[in-house]
Parts: sequence; C-alpha cells; structure tokens
Amino acid sequence: MKNFKKISTLLLAVLMIASCVVLSSCGNEKKADDVLVIGGVGPLTGDYANYGNSVKNGAEIAVAEINAAGGINGFTIRLDFQDSAGVPDSAVAAYGKLMDDDMMVSLGGVLSGETASIVAAAKDDGILILTPSASADDALKGNDAAFRVCFSDSSQGVSAANYIGANNLPKKVAVFYQNDIDYSSGLYKAFEDTADANGIEIVVVESFTSDTDTDFTTQITAIQNSGAEMIFMPIYADEASTFLSQANGKFAEDMLFFGCDGLDGIIGKVADTADCENVLLLTPFAADAEAENVQKFVTAYKNAHNDAIPDQFAADGYDAIYAIKAAMEKANITVEDQDNFNSRIVAAMTEITVNGVTGNMTWEASGETAKDPIVMIIKSGVAQLYNP
Amino acid sequence: MILFFQTLISGLSLGSIYALIALGYTMVYGIAKMLNFAHGDVIMIGAYSVIVAVMQMNMPPILAIFVSIAFCALLGVIIEFLAYKPLRKAPSLAVLITAIGVSYFLQNIAQLIFGTQQKFFPKIISLPSVTLGTIEISGITLATLAVTAIIMIVLTLFINKTKVGKAMRAVSEDKEAAELMGISTNRTISVTFAIGSALAAVASIFYGATYTYIKPTTGSMPGIKAFTAAVFGGIGSIPGAMLGGILLGIIEQFSKAYVSTTMSDAIVFAVLVIVLVVKPTGLLGKKISEKV
Repeated sequence: MKNFKKISTLLLAVLMIASCVVLSSCGNEKKADDVLVIGGVGPLTGDYANYGNSVKNGAEIAVAEINAAGGINGFTIRLDFQDSAGVPDSAVAAYGKLMDDDMMVSLGGVLSGETASIVAAAKDDGILILTPSASADDALKGNDAAFRVCFSDSSQGVSAANYIGANNLPKKVAVFYQNDIDYSSGLYKAFEDTADANGIEIVVVESFTSDTDTDFTTQITAIQNSGAEMIFMPIYADEASTFLSQANGKFAEDMLFFGCDGLDGIIGKVADTADCENVLLLTPFAADAEAENVQKFVTAYKNAHNDAIPDQFAADGYDAIYAIKAAMEKANITVEDQDNFNSRIVAAMTEITVNGVTGNMTWEASGETAKDPIVMIIKSGVAQLYNP
Repeated sequence: MILFFQTLISGLSLGSIYALIALGYTMVYGIAKMLNFAHGDVIMIGAYSVIVAVMQMNMPPILAIFVSIAFCALLGVIIEFLAYKPLRKAPSLAVLITAIGVSYFLQNIAQLIFGTQQKFFPKIISLPSVTLGTIEISGITLATLAVTAIIMIVLTLFINKTKVGKAMRAVSEDKEAAELMGISTNRTISVTFAIGSALAAVASIFYGATYTYIKPTTGSMPGIKAFTAAVFGGIGSIPGAMLGGILLGIIEQFSKAYVSTTMSDAIVFAVLVIVLVVKPTGLLGKKISEKV
C-alpha cells in the first residue's frame, strides 16, 4: 500500500509536468506574431456557470468561423477563456494570468461584478475591453477602453416602461424580480423610476433570491390577488420557466408576461410550450428570429452543442468577437503593422458598425452600445413580432 | 382566509419534500453517526437518472423509477466505500469535510455530463388534484405526504423489528461492541447508505414532479433545508425528520406570504436557532447523557 501511494504520487507529478508541456501553459515561450489572443473571464463552474459557458461557447463559434474564413488581416484568433467561478477576485487574478500570456484584447468578464473589477484593474494597461454581457450601469466606470455588447440595465428598464406606456398594453402591472442579482434589480429600479411617467401602476412587487428560486407559489398567489393584468419580469429564462410552469392555469387567460433580454431562449427551456403563451420579450436577440445571420449562428451553435439553443449570453459572446474583428479591420491592424495596437483598436470602436445577431450596433465613447430592441410575443410556442 | 389556506397547502407541499429528504439524512446520521452532506446531491443525480431513463432510453415511467432507485442505492454504497470507509477511524471533522467534497464532486460531474442549464423533468406522475371549496390541492402534494408517511412507518418498523435493523441499532450504539457480537459494521453501514440513497431517489422523483426543472445545483439548497429540518425535528429520530420537514416547509411559506419573500430563509433559520436554544436535541430528539 505504501508503494502504491509512492507510485501514484510519482505518476501524478509526471502527469502534471506532461500536461504543462502539452498545454504549454507554463509560460516563457513567446507567442507567434500572427496570433491574436483574445482573453475571456467568466464563471465556468459554480452557480453562474451557465452564463460563463454560454458566452464562451458563443465566442468559440465566432472564432471558428473567422479562423476558417482566413482570420483577420492575417491574424489567427486564439481564444483563451479562464474560469472565475463568478468571484471578482478570481476574475482579476485570471485577467492577470491572461495578460502574462500575451492577451491582446479582453472580453472583460461575463457577470457585472467581475467585469467592474477587471475594468478597474485594467485601467492603466490600455487594453481594449469588450464585455459581452456585463450590463450593470457602472460596470464600465473609470476606463475609457471599456465597451459592452449588451444594453445597460437602466437603459433596458427605461425602454420597457416607455414601450408599455407608448403602446396599447395593460397599465396595471405586477413586478416579479430576483433581488440578489444586479441585472434584475437594476432593471426593476429603472422601470419603477419611469413607470409613473408612462402611466403604469405597479400594483404589487414580488421577489426571490437565488437560494429561493424553486418554489414560487406564494408569489403567484400574491400576484393573483393583486388584480394585475400584466407581469413585468426582468429575470432569466431558467427562473422564468420555473415560474411559468408553476403559474400555468393560475392566471386569467389574457394575462401578459413582459420580460427583457434575460428571457431569451425561453421557448426551448419550458417543459411545455403552453407555459410561455403570451410572453412578451423586449430583446435585441431572439433565437427564433428569421434573420439569416441569426439562423446561421443558431444552427452552428446547435451542431456544436448537442442541439442546445443559444441564449442571449451566447449571442453576446458571438457578437463581441465579430465586433473585435470589425475594429481590427477599421484600424487596419495587420501582422506587419501592429504598433500602438491598443490605442488604434480602441479608437476604432466608436467608428464601426456591426450587424450582429443582437442587432445593428454602434458604440459611444462611454462604452455603451446603441441598438434597437425589438418586441416579440410568444403564441402557440412560436415567437413573432408583436403588433400592439 | 383563502390566502391562509393557500399558503398552508403550499407549505405542506414544500414541507413534505423536505421531510422525504430529511428521512434519508436522519437515517444515515442515526446509524453511521455522520452527516452525509452529499445526500442532496444524490437526489440531483437520482433526478438526472430518471431524465436519462425516460427521455433517452425511452423506459416506461415505472421501470425508470426503479432503475433510478437502484442506481442511487448503488451510488450510495460506492460513495461510502470510496470516500467514507477509509475514514472510519478518522475524527468526525475529517468525515464531514469529505462529505462536502463528495457533494461538490457530484455537482461538478453532473455539470460536465449534463451541462449547466436546467433540464425539465418528464411528467411521469400525473395525479388529479383535489378541490376543497375554493382551495385546490395538487395530487402530487398528497402523494408526497402519503409516501413520506409510509416510508416513515416502514423505516421505524424496519429498524425496530428486523434483524438488520437490530444490527443497525447495535452499530449506532457502539461499533466495537457490535463487532465483538459478530455484526459486520462495514456491511451494516453499507446497507444504511443503500437505504438512505434509495430514499434520495424517491425524493428526487417527487421533487422533479413538483418543481419540473433540474440543474446540477438542484440538490444543494433543499439538502441544507432538509438537514435543518432533521435537526429541527431531532436528528436521528425518524418521526422527528417528518415533523421537522413539514413544519419547516410551512414556516417558510408563511414567512414568504406574510412577512417577506427574501427574508424567509432568515426566518426559517432563526426558528431553528430558537428551537435549539430551548430544546437542544430538537423537537423529538432523545436526551442522551454522555458518559465522560
């Protein structure tokens, strides 16, 4: 038994060294000039792993497509995605590791908290940070080289209230949100602030946390008793599908459910498509949209990931890579001419227009993107453009 | 008043699930004297095994249920053999930490195999709901309550009346003395784990039927709540686990409905603290005088 332990320790040690050599992650050797290293950080394990994996998977599809088509101005993209488990400190450490490994463009973080930490840590590096999905209002604060693909939370909350106000939708609204994530509470806050101006009466506010996201019967009862005609639910599709399956049959048939980009992918996630009848989505990305680039992306994603339907996060990851490609091309950065890489690519960000799967995007110097959300409604398991 | 009854029913529904999970916790603790923190994750594995059996292997629901129970029982025995048995003589803290490790191991394995997004649980049980006046009680809630009560009675009889049960009590009382009397401690503890994990599989079926969606972290929070329920009712006591689970579910839903949906966990755990201060052995726990 003692020998066995010794041998297995030895074996492990050999394995570790071998894996170091094979993966060449032990550093030291310089990367080739014609490789564009894009570094991502996000939760690949732990409670938020689905978001990190979605972004990574979406970005990988774009990288594969671009590399297969010959790369960008002679560069081949290498995506290096590190796990943060959703912890900001680990995210900064992962960012540092990526910088040591010659990262040239950063995808920031996946979640808002970790992105804010990376954005602050990267302040003096000058590197372009393009976060696919960190939507908290202040996630980009204090760094001129930080941009995002998604909407900010407040801009989405405001758009939702304005849309409801401007269109013929019920004005007695219940709110159902998750109060321990920035995304959901940020959206709710912005919605609440602009509700009055749009003639919206919030009749009841119900919430949950990530520890209490399986049983929504008490919240459903409260909404039933409130007389609400529409439920504003700025939450993610996983929790929404749980909510909708428990709510099935509890509300009047014409009850409307109004969600934002977090709800995208809901049709593929509910156990029974009848659950998501009358769900309205204010979203820049809908996997069900007919646009050619969207369908191309959805098909590629399904093929690569066991028929899984890409969600908002995957779409954001995909668009981030194409935005980097556009900026590289705009700045005319080539393998031979890559001096002042950072300042040139950052400057190009405000000049590009990207027709991505999450809409037609341009960027402001503040890092915010300008794109139009569309509103879809789900009828009989199919999302269609909503005509108020 | 309607709100009161609706809350009571949803409390019963949640509580019966907690009770079912707590039975497994308390069974293993009562005999092996260890907290198997991986119990919640065995439930998650049980639910995934039903999903695989029904959706991918197209088994009929009844067969899938039995496959899942057998699979979990086997998994429990394997976990015990690989992770806990080598630590039989180690301090209980080491075993506790190992159990937490096993819990994370199972979660991450599930994440690797099934991905991180939630999957829906097939509708393998469909029972008509019962309507009392304006109150509707779902058939699954009633079935969970009935099954939990039956399991509680069968387990109590099993431990008190059968030979294996007697061996279990002997091992729980004093491992070395039991060995001297010709009882195989290892086999008895293996059997305990097999039963505990089979109960987890049963819990997973009712959990899936009630809450529809399963993800790799599904087991952890109900696991902790059920552990709380077991302590609340008196850990090691089988009727205590049932009582604790149901009370915990009802307290949780009432604090959600009448106080705050976000404070409900704080209230649940505050009640636990108060009970333990007043009655350290839990509601139905036996007072044990330690010999020093």
